[in-house]
Amino acid sequence: MEAATTSLGLLERARNGDRAAFDALLERYWRRLAVMIHYRMSEPLRRQVGPEDILQETMFRAARDIGGFAYRQPGSFLSWLASIADRVIADAARHGSRQKRDVHRNVAVWSDSHPGGIRPPADSRTPSRILAGKQRLDRLITRLDQLPPDYRDVIVLVRVQGLSTGEAANRMGRSREAVSLLLHRALKRFRELATK
Amino acid sequence: MTEEERLARELADLHDRHAGLEASGTQHVIPTDPALGDVIEAAREIDDALAPAAAPPRDRLSGYRIIEEIGAGGMGRVFAAHDESLGRKVAIKTLHQRYTDHSTSRERFLKEARAMARINHPNIVRIYSLGPASEPPHFVMEYVEGVSLTTAAGPLALRQKVELFQKAVDAVGFLHRNGIVHRDLKPGNVLVGPDLEPKVLDFGLALELGGSEHRLTLGGELMGTPQYLSPEQAAGETEIDATSDVFALGVILYELLTGQLPFTGASLNLQLEQIRAADPALPRRIAPSVPVEIQNIAMKAIEKRREDRYADGGEMAADLARYLAGQPVVAAPPAYARLVGGKITQHLGEIETWRRDGILSPAEFDTLRRGYERLVERDDAWIMEARRLTLPQVSLYFGAWILAAAAALLFLFQYRWLAGWPAVLSAALATAPLMALGLRSWRAGELRIGVAYLLAFSMLLPATLLIAMSEFGLMMVRPGSDADLELLARPTNAQLWWAILLSMPAYYGLRRFTRSSVFSLSLAIMSALLSLVTLLRMGLLKWLEEDPGRAYFHLLPHAALFLAVALVMERRRLSNDSRYFYPVAFLFTLVSLSGVAAQHEPYRQWLAGALPWTRGQIEYLFIANAAMYAVLQRVCDAAGSPQMRAVARGFRFVIPGHVMTSLLLLGWSATGRGEASREARVFELVLPLTAAAFVYLSIPKQMKNFLAMGLLFFAVGVVRLGEHLLKDRAVWPIGLLALGLSLMLAAANYTSIWLALRRSKIFSRVW
Repeated sequence: MEAATTSLGLLERARNGDRAAFDALLERYWRRLAVMIHYRMSEPLRRQVGPEDILQETMFRAARDIGGFAYRQPGSFLSWLASIADRVIADAARHGSRQKRDVHRNVAVWSDSHPGGIRPPADSRTPSRILAGKQRLDRLITRLDQLPPDYRDVIVLVRVQGLSTGEAANRMGRSREAVSLLLHRALKRFRELATK
Repeated sequence: MTEEERLARELADLHDRHAGLEASGTQHVIPTDPALGDVIEAAREIDDALAPAAAPPRDRLSGYRIIEEIGAGGMGRVFAAHDESLGRKVAIKTLHQRYTDHSTSRERFLKEARAMARINHPNIVRIYSLGPASEPPHFVMEYVEGVSLTTAAGPLALRQKVELFQKAVDAVGFLHRNGIVHRDLKPGNVLVGPDLEPKVLDFGLALELGGSEHRLTLGGELMGTPQYLSPEQAAGETEIDATSDVFALGVILYELLTGQLPFTGASLNLQLEQIRAADPALPRRIAPSVPVEIQNIAMKAIEKRREDRYADGGEMAADLARYLAGQPVVAAPPAYARLVGGKITQHLGEIETWRRDGILSPAEFDTLRRGYERLVERDDAWIMEARRLTLPQVSLYFGAWILAAAAALLFLFQYRWLAGWPAVLSAALATAPLMALGLRSWRAGELRIGVAYLLAFSMLLPATLLIAMSEFGLMMVRPGSDADLELLARPTNAQLWWAILLSMPAYYGLRRFTRSSVFSLSLAIMSALLSLVTLLRMGLLKWLEEDPGRAYFHLLPHAALFLAVALVMERRRLSNDSRYFYPVAFLFTLVSLSGVAAQHEPYRQWLAGALPWTRGQIEYLFIANAAMYAVLQRVCDAAGSPQMRAVARGFRFVIPGHVMTSLLLLGWSATGRGEASREARVFELVLPLTAAAFVYLSIPKQMKNFLAMGLLFFAVGVVRLGEHLLKDRAVWPIGLLALGLSLMLAAANYTSIWLALRRSKIFSRVW
């Protein structure tokens, strides 16, 4: 299976209102989006509003607006999701604690940020199993957190969001050479963290 | 260029070459420089952490070649595959990795698949086989080529949409009957092929596997499409049953009808809040061409409380089928009552203020209030109050009527082969099942059918009692054993009386049970009949023959009784029951008073004796009746209840006719006795004056008929005056012309004349 063609095919179907295709896209991309959201939120905001809520809201709006999405170049779907996430984060920051209260009242379901939510019955799967993918993500974030901000940013832009080094250079306001060097060092350091 | 710079460029080039894969990763990337191995490994680690949880599928599952991924849900992925042996496409559903290592989940998945494999329905996707134990859990099913329900329904006419939708609902009903809840109904899960046959897919999979906790956080399933979620799901309840599916179907129907979703919010939380708490706009507000019946069905399906919805897809499909067949639908969504209930209290309050402010006349106030009160009353299932007549409905009542007629034949005539027991048995056999059928239909919510059966039962009940009594000779009592007093040859008056009296509790019970107004009507009619049969037993037939006036005289107390009973019922807030007693009371009063005036000899003689100048003419008695009506209407108005006020209006209505017709007739008879008689002159003058008085009497109680009748009789009076008293006097028509003109001019300048008179000294002195 060629991932790229399928992604494009799914995108096209999702844009025409095919929910299953959209869900498949989300299944494919939500982890990347979660990491991007994590690093787009300030530390205090993260404590105030769970990144999961931002993720949910982003996906909700994405599902609503997918019909208006236009594919231009590789990575534009994730960039589009990122731009929605930016708006959601901005809204959350503006509404602050009110948003958080709403979230707790409305979506009373267990998650890391809602330890008081509904838990599955005892005979069902444990949360850790449901969140198996989430644990991998959490380990990744823990490791990224240990990197210097520069290193982390370049990895998120290039390896998570999937921008080309040229685009990443534009975003970071540096030359492509500088970004390449930064990426090389960042990945090296990331690898060292694992082996340490 | 340093070594590091060279490696970095190499890495960047490698990355950029693969960035086109939409962040697909470096799995297939082979570094040209071994020195990059470590860095590539790091990138691979990151990609692994970001990869979908499910393992990438093999090339083949169950021996079918995987072609592409066509969808993913919270619990698994769906692939299109090629069945090479049969040369057809199949769909394969897999279970997410995160469930596969969990034996309970896995077991449930397999159990579900087996349950679904037993489902065989043309509108439900078929399951072909379950994957072998050696492979990751999956099952193979029919590959459905088609578009989503909403897409397919887009260009269709409303009726075709409903037909298409009904098939899908029927299929969901089939699932429910087999104990399977779909849990994830949405237009994308109902695919429609080019033959316009819908196929329901993806059913039951969310069951057990998809607790709400992962759906909200991870699945993508809920995050993308909370639009079809039921309130209980939106509230995080895990108890999901068929009514949750009904809700989703209702949302889909709403969307088909209006092109909009009933619940939309700017954010996920607002959306869920809407689903839980908001009443959606009525479809007809958005698309006025939507028939009320279909709107009722959609609104009933998206009620917030489960018990207010259809119990399952089967019930909903049946109601849709009823609509398609042109029959009345069952749905009467409580949402309407909520919608209008509060508003009506508010409106009534406003109307009350308007009345106090004098914007509304009391009569207008009563009319408006009656209209509003009818709105909040429960929709009547009786045919006369039904919104439209349909073939089955009319046939139902026609059948009931034939039954009643047949029963009447049985007690009116004696049949040689059907005397005694057989007659009673056949009547009872027709009556008893009607009751049972009626109660059952009513309980099942088929109110219209239930009422028809129960009404037929209530018509047959007295007939059956009569047949039994006359066949067995029960209650035969004949007062004075005077056969001339009997109305019918066979059932005696006493039997008639007892049959009616004994069936009255049944009417009362049915009224209390169904709260349908038709049984109040029956009760009122039967009470009236009971009154008449009572008179029969007292000797009505003899009176009619010898002294009809006496018969009417004896009706008077019955009229008073009905009026009193109706007033008591209305006072006890049974306004629906009293509504039918008042007309009986009114009719009895009118008939008996007119009859007494026309035919009661002692009354006439008394008048002739007491007031000799009247010569005992009955016209005077009718004028006396009019005076009595005037008193009655005052009494009724004083009682103050809305229905009593309507009765008072009825009495007022007949007054001018009585008075002026009598005056005209008296005038004629006086003229007939002698052209120049003084009496004739008097009547010629009295008639137009009385008519003018009625014209102005129309003002206080807003009686338009006073005005109309007054104008009519005034013209008659004017002509009569011209005929005799003012014959050949030109001053008469000229005077009238002047009078009319000056009256009009005065009326047009009413205010200024009034003010001028008030300012003038003469006026104040006179006043």
